[in-house]
Amino acid sequence: MPTLLEAKEVTKIYAKAQHPSLNKVSFSVSKSEFIAIMGASGSGKTTLLNVLSTIDTPTSGSITIDGVNIKNLTNSGAADFRRDKLGFIFQEYLLLDSLTIFENIAVPLTLQKLPPKKIENMVRSLAEAFGIDSQLNKYPNELSGGQRQRASALRAIVKRPSILFADEPTGALDSNSATDLLNTLKESNEALSTTILMVTHDAYAASFADRILIFKDGRIIRELFKQNDDRRIFYESIAREVAKLDTER
Amino acid sequence: MHNLSMAFKNLKNNFSFYALYLLSVSFVITIFFAFTSFSMNTVMLEKISNDGRVETMCNTISVFLMAFVVFYMSYSNRFFLRRRTKELGIYALLGYRKSTILSLLITENLLTCSGAFIAGILLGGFFHKGIVFGITKLLDLAVNNSEIHFFNPNAIMKTACFIFAVVIVLALSNSRFLFKSSLMDLVRYEKSAEKKMKFHAVPAVIGFFAVISGYCLALDILRGTKSLWLTIGFYPVAMLTFTLVLSGTVLFIASFLPFSVQAGKKNKRKFYTETKIITAPGFIYRIHSNSRTLIMLTLLSAATLTVSSVMALSLYYPIAAVSRMAPSEIECRIENESEITAIQQIINKYSSDTDVTFLQTDIYKVTSSAGQLPMEYGIGTSKGDADNEKILRDAGFECIPYSNYIALLEAQGRQKVLEQLTALNDNECILVKYQPAPNDDETGNIYPLLIGNNEIPVTVTAVTLNNPISFANSVGTLIISDDLYHTIAEQAVPAAKILSINGKSIEDNEALFQALSEFLSGSPYLQGNSHRKHEIFSLNSSTFLLLGFLVVLFFIASGSILYFNNVSAITDSKSDYNILWKMGYTDRKIKKIIKKQTAAFYSIPFLFGLADCIFATLVYKSALMQNILENSLGLYAPAMAAIMLTFIIYLVYYHLTVHTCCKAVLTK
Repeated sequence: MPTLLEAKEVTKIYAKAQHPSLNKVSFSVSKSEFIAIMGASGSGKTTLLNVLSTIDTPTSGSITIDGVNIKNLTNSGAADFRRDKLGFIFQEYLLLDSLTIFENIAVPLTLQKLPPKKIENMVRSLAEAFGIDSQLNKYPNELSGGQRQRASALRAIVKRPSILFADEPTGALDSNSATDLLNTLKESNEALSTTILMVTHDAYAASFADRILIFKDGRIIRELFKQNDDRRIFYESIAREVAKLDTER
Repeated sequence: MHNLSMAFKNLKNNFSFYALYLLSVSFVITIFFAFTSFSMNTVMLEKISNDGRVETMCNTISVFLMAFVVFYMSYSNRFFLRRRTKELGIYALLGYRKSTILSLLITENLLTCSGAFIAGILLGGFFHKGIVFGITKLLDLAVNNSEIHFFNPNAIMKTACFIFAVVIVLALSNSRFLFKSSLMDLVRYEKSAEKKMKFHAVPAVIGFFAVISGYCLALDILRGTKSLWLTIGFYPVAMLTFTLVLSGTVLFIASFLPFSVQAGKKNKRKFYTETKIITAPGFIYRIHSNSRTLIMLTLLSAATLTVSSVMALSLYYPIAAVSRMAPSEIECRIENESEITAIQQIINKYSSDTDVTFLQTDIYKVTSSAGQLPMEYGIGTSKGDADNEKILRDAGFECIPYSNYIALLEAQGRQKVLEQLTALNDNECILVKYQPAPNDDETGNIYPLLIGNNEIPVTVTAVTLNNPISFANSVGTLIISDDLYHTIAEQAVPAAKILSINGKSIEDNEALFQALSEFLSGSPYLQGNSHRKHEIFSLNSSTFLLLGFLVVLFFIASGSILYFNNVSAITDSKSDYNILWKMGYTDRKIKKIIKKQTAAFYSIPFLFGLADCIFATLVYKSALMQNILENSLGLYAPAMAAIMLTFIIYLVYYHLTVHTCCKAVLTK
């Protein structure tokens, strides 16, 4: 598979911080890959996600996504890049309360200036495929946490982003809702070939990924591959690794 | 930590947050103090009021002013309390008693109000002095400025007591809020979600039609004698119009606007755009919780605009009408030739210049046998209610010669009118109208004039509003050829002899006018152009000034409430803008969304207020003002200036709001 994202020697040092949040991190992501980033709090996971998604800028190093060196982007260039190439899912759902679920999912498409008919078709077919078509006319506060997060995921994937960034997407969900969401992400990854980079604390959530990058003190200290393992076996190996990490603290 | 030091720290750390509050309260206190100082300024009141009218107005306006200050400060206090509810919840979680939290709030309010009080007294002192200076200059009053203190101790005391009373009201309101709210309510207050908006077509349609009917009813006044305002009566129709517009405004804002925006979402081509998809639902969402504030602001804005526009019109119209009421600088009736010499001597005492012209016009009253005569022919011949109808007039045309007409216009400096005049034949005349009558053109009418035993018909070749003699001395003036005039003069005695005095050097000379008035024993036929203007200013300036206090206060309050409301709504949704930014919205696009959202909330009160103001001014002008000037857009210029000024004030507040919101939302 061709490389979609390439991070080289990425370093991020915040003013007044004693240690770098990211310390010469290098890795690459292939197209259609599902990657989970794990690590303890403060290990640099979210900083990496912010830096990769143009929300923050690295202190040094280079990041290339879909052939674009994002460090060279201007403010409006970065906005256009996020509009065209990136999708986001957040722990707190972050749906717009004043918009219906349909409108929430449609926002990224209006930003791409697609014709109304196409927007309607895309939203409805995706909602149908992921089983939330009956919720489309509801407002976020009329839905459960799981339903909201699913809507948030659809909002991120409806525009077919080159890469989807998910920051602790299951963090606020009960186990059933979390499984539903992870299945949605996996389905999107497999059926729509969406490349996913997911930050998570949860070994169970990480087991849906193809590869795990484990972070500690701003560095990648280990890498786990699913290969042909069953998800359950992969989950056990992740859990062992996380436990080992905890004892090493 | 001690309450006082905590309050100090809170205010210091949130200075930018409180700055506008402090500023607006300072302004409000400035207006209040200046007004109180003025109403307690016995030196000025003695000069401008001799019948207690100004004092009565001061007392009435003072009640409005106090009610308004209480309302405005309560609103602002509630706004800040809402913004700080979570913080207060944290105090409660840490173990602070509600009474301790309340005393913290009271201390903060006391500190803020003390700061605003000091600023208000200082600025108010200057403002009061400025008003006194302005009135003294405008009315040419002899006032010893040293008698008027910069700070009136009684006014300071009254203002201090009032502000203290407001602080107590705020403390009571805060305690009610605090003791009614549970700990959970406090901590989660900001997160409480809006209920789902329901859209009802019936109230929306009723609201729309009520407003339209109200405006149509107001426009009906333009139908003149056929209008419902005259056939049914002014007050019943005025009440009906007011009720329709008021109830319509309420339903229009609360139901029609969200309903129509929701319906507008069906236009997908327009709705599915990067800004509309955010602003349209956002508008519906916000109007749901803010309709009451918006209705209140709309009514406030309508009142402010109407008062300022009517005020401007009421001042400007009589001044513009002076050119018809008293076209010459000075004009009087004379009984014998010796009076002219005496008058000339008086004028020479006050003006040594040679530019003064004296023109005598002998008016001859002539009757006519025509079946249909102009309204001016018989005006004032029967008893009415007005003061000037005490002396009854004989019906007839009051004839003056064409050459005198030209000479008078020249002396009065009306060159433009002169340029349009053409000479008159013996069978022609110019009819001077009292009121414009666009639907009843009398040009071409033939009036047979009864001169001695003969009947000489004259044709009206033109009607004019450019009367050369004041209405006090001549109504139903007919300008005829010099030959015809001489024919009349040979057979009759003049009905009145008018002396018109003009010249730059005698303009704005109130002392001269008083001397002439004394000489003529207060004759009602003595008229003066500058004197009339001076009189209008003297009679109305205090009224306008006092109403001006209210208008300024309304502006500050409505602008500040809109500012607070918008800043609050937009900063509360900071996370929403953050999501949009992450989705790929540029700062520019987000700014555009903020601008549109803010503009919607500013334009509703302004546009509604503007519409109400236009229709109310129209009704006022048509029904309550005597119309003696030709209708022209120029007459509405002062009203337009008042509207423009309001627009500029709203625009300044709008930009200030957008700036604050963008600063809060776009700061990473």
